[in-house]
Amino acid sequence: MTTFIDYLLSGISSGMIIALMALALVLIWRGTRVVNFAQVGQAMFTTFVALSVQTLTGNWFLALAVALIAGAVLGVIVQYLVLRPVKRTDTAGAIIATFGVLIALQAGAGMIWGGANQGFPQPFSTAGIEFAGRVWPFSPYDFLTIGITALMVVILTVIFKKTSLGLGMRASAFNPEVARLSGVRVNRMLSVGWAIAGVVGAVAGVLVAPVATISPNSFDLLLVFAFTAAVIGGLDSLVGAISVGIFTGLIFSLVSGYGDASNAPIVALILLILNLLFKPQGIFSHHKVREV
Amino acid sequence: MKNLQQTPGVRLVMHGLLVVVIWFAVTWFLNQADPLMNYYVALVAMYAIALFGMVILVGLSGQVSLGNGALMAVGGYVFALTSLNWETVPLLGLPWNAVWSMVFAGLGGVLVGLLLGGVAARLRGPYLAGLTLGVAVGVPAIANRFPGLLGGENGLILTVPYPEGGYAAGAALTDDELFDDTDSLDDDTFNEETDLADLPTSQDEFEDEAGELTVDDFEELTVDGFDEEIEEITVDDFEEEFAAPVEDLDSADPEVLADSSDLVDGSLDLEFVIERWQASMALTAAVVIGFIALNLVRGRQGRLWKAVRDDPVAAAVSGIFPASTKVSAFVVSSLFAAIAGAVLAQILAFVGPGAFGLGLSLSLLVGVVLGGRVSLIGALLGAVLLVWLPEFVLQVAGERGWEEQVTNNAPNLIYGLLVVVVVILLPGGIVGTVGDWARKIRK
Repeated sequence: MTTFIDYLLSGISSGMIIALMALALVLIWRGTRVVNFAQVGQAMFTTFVALSVQTLTGNWFLALAVALIAGAVLGVIVQYLVLRPVKRTDTAGAIIATFGVLIALQAGAGMIWGGANQGFPQPFSTAGIEFAGRVWPFSPYDFLTIGITALMVVILTVIFKKTSLGLGMRASAFNPEVARLSGVRVNRMLSVGWAIAGVVGAVAGVLVAPVATISPNSFDLLLVFAFTAAVIGGLDSLVGAISVGIFTGLIFSLVSGYGDASNAPIVALILLILNLLFKPQGIFSHHKVREV
Repeated sequence: MKNLQQTPGVRLVMHGLLVVVIWFAVTWFLNQADPLMNYYVALVAMYAIALFGMVILVGLSGQVSLGNGALMAVGGYVFALTSLNWETVPLLGLPWNAVWSMVFAGLGGVLVGLLLGGVAARLRGPYLAGLTLGVAVGVPAIANRFPGLLGGENGLILTVPYPEGGYAAGAALTDDELFDDTDSLDDDTFNEETDLADLPTSQDEFEDEAGELTVDDFEELTVDGFDEEIEEITVDDFEEEFAAPVEDLDSADPEVLADSSDLVDGSLDLEFVIERWQASMALTAAVVIGFIALNLVRGRQGRLWKAVRDDPVAAAVSGIFPASTKVSAFVVSSLFAAIAGAVLAQILAFVGPGAFGLGLSLSLLVGVVLGGRVSLIGALLGAVLLVWLPEFVLQVAGERGWEEQVTNNAPNLIYGLLVVVVVILLPGGIVGTVGDWARKIRK
C-alpha cells in the first residue's frame, strides 16, 4: 500500500506538467480550432532560452520570467506568420504546418544548443521530504511545481471569467462572426490566446526540465501525453485538460512504477484509442468529433 | 484514343508499359552509375514506396497521418522476423526467399492498417493526426517491450539475401526456374507484360485485389527482376573478368554451384557490388508498388477517395460508403509503408526502434507535402528531395566549414521551413505549382 501511495505521490508533479501542456493545447483549440502540435517545440525552445539565461545569471526566477516572455512572443509569431496565412478550408494544411513548425524548432534548437541531453539546474531540492519517520517521494521542488501550476490556473480563471479581455476571448472562440460584429477584435483575441498558450507551455517546459533533462526531442513524449489528456478531457474544456492531465500523470506513474517506464507511451495509445472509440467527444465536452 | 485510355484493361497495359520502361531506364542508369549513386537510388526508391502510400492517405483521402513510419517498422520487423526464423518455424515448407518475407511484411502492414484504419476512419483531422502521432511514438517502443523477440533498443541484424551466397540466397538461386531463363532481355519484358495484364482488373473489391496483387505480382515480378539483375551483372562484368579462378569457385558451397554448369551465375560474381543489389531490389519493389498505385489512383478507387475527402455527405448520397473508403486508403497506404519498411530493412541489414522513430514519420509527411500532396510524381520528387537535400547540405557545409551541429540540423530546419512555406503559399507542392504555371502559360 505504501508503494502505491509513493507512486501516486511521485506522479502528481508530472501530472501537473502534462496538465499544463494539455491546457496550452486546449487554449489554442478553443480559439482557432487547430491542435498546435508545435506546442512542445515552442516549450522546448523557450526552456533552452531559460537554460541560457540561467547559465549566464544563475538566477532561476529570472530564467523563468524570460521563458514566459519568450513563450508569449513565440506563440504570437507562430500564430501570425504560420497559422493565420493558412487557408481556413485547408484543415489538413493547418495540421501539417504545425508539424513543419515543430520540425523547424527542433532543428533550430539543435543548431543553437546541440542535440545532447543537458541538465537543468534545480532551484529547490528534488530529494524526498522526511516526514513521520520515513522519506516520502515528494520534494520541495514538487511543491513548487504544484504551486506554480495552481497559480497559473487561478490567473487563467480570473482572466477568462472576470476581465473584458477574457470575455472577448470567450466570445471569439464561441462565435467569431458574432463577436466581430459586436466589436471584438477577433484576430487580436486569437493572438492573445496564442500568447497565453505559449506562456503556459513555457511554464511546463521550465518546470519539467530540472527533473528530466532537455534536448531538442526530449518533449516528444510529453506531446503525446498532453494530447491524450487534452482529447480525453474534451479538447474544449480547460477543467477537463487539467483534471485529466493530472490523472494521466498518476496513471503513467503507476504504470512506470509497477511495470516499466517504456510502457507509458503504449498505455497512452491504448487510452487514446479507447477514448476515441467509445467517448470521442471527451469526458468534459459535448461537440462532434466523428465525421462518418 | 481518349476513350481507349479510359478502358480499365487498356489503362492497365499502359501503366504496365510505363513502369517497365521506367524499370529499364533506371536499371540502365544504375549500370553506368557508381556504387554511391546506386545507394541513393535505393533510398529514393524506398522513400517513393512509402510516399506513394502517403499520397493516397494524406492527399487523396485527406487523412493526415503520422503513423506510416510506425507501419514501416511493422514491415521491417515482419521481414526481419520471418527471415530470421524461417528455418525454425517451417511455414510453407519452402526454402526462404526475400520475396516471401516481403509478402508477409505486406500482409502484416495490411492487418495493422485495418486495425488502425478502423479507428482512424471515424476521426476528424486533428484527432487522427494526434492518434497517429501516438502510434509513431508508441509502436517503436513496443520493440523495447519485447527485447527477447524484437531485440530491444539494439534491434535485429538481418542476414540480407545477397545473391553472392548467403544461406537463403543459395536456396533461391538453385531454383531451376530461375536459371532456365537465360534469354535476351526482351523475353523478360514480354513475360512481365503478360504478368501485368493477367492481374485482376476489377477494382471493386479492392482489399482482396490488393492482397492478390501483392502476392502474384510480387512473386513474379520480383523473381524476374532479381533474375535479370543477376544476369546483367554477370554479363557486364564477366566478359571482362573472365579470368575468375575456377578452383576457388568449385571449393565454394556445392549446392549453390550445382546448377551452374555455365559460368553465367550471379553467385559466382566476384565483382558483386552491394549497392547495386540494394538499388535493383528497391527499384523492383518501387516499380511494382508504383504500378499498383498508378492503377488505384487513376482508376475508380482514386475517384472514390477524392469524393469522400471533398464531401463525405455528398459521397454517401451517391452510394459510396465513406467509412470503408477511408479505411481502404489506410490499408493501401499501410501496405505500401510495410513494403517500404521491408526494403529499408534490407538496405540497412538491420531493424531497430531508432530507425523507425517519429523522425521517419515526420520526414514522410515532409516528402509528400513538398512534392505535391495529390501527385504520384510529386511523391517521387519528394523522395528525391528527402535523399538529396541532406547530401547537398553536407557538401555546402564542407565547403563553408560549418560546425557539426549546424550541419546535422540544417536539413531538418530547411524541411520545416519549406513545409510551412509550401502549405501557405503553394498548397499543391512542387507538382501542383508547376502544373498551375503550365496552365497559365497555355492560356
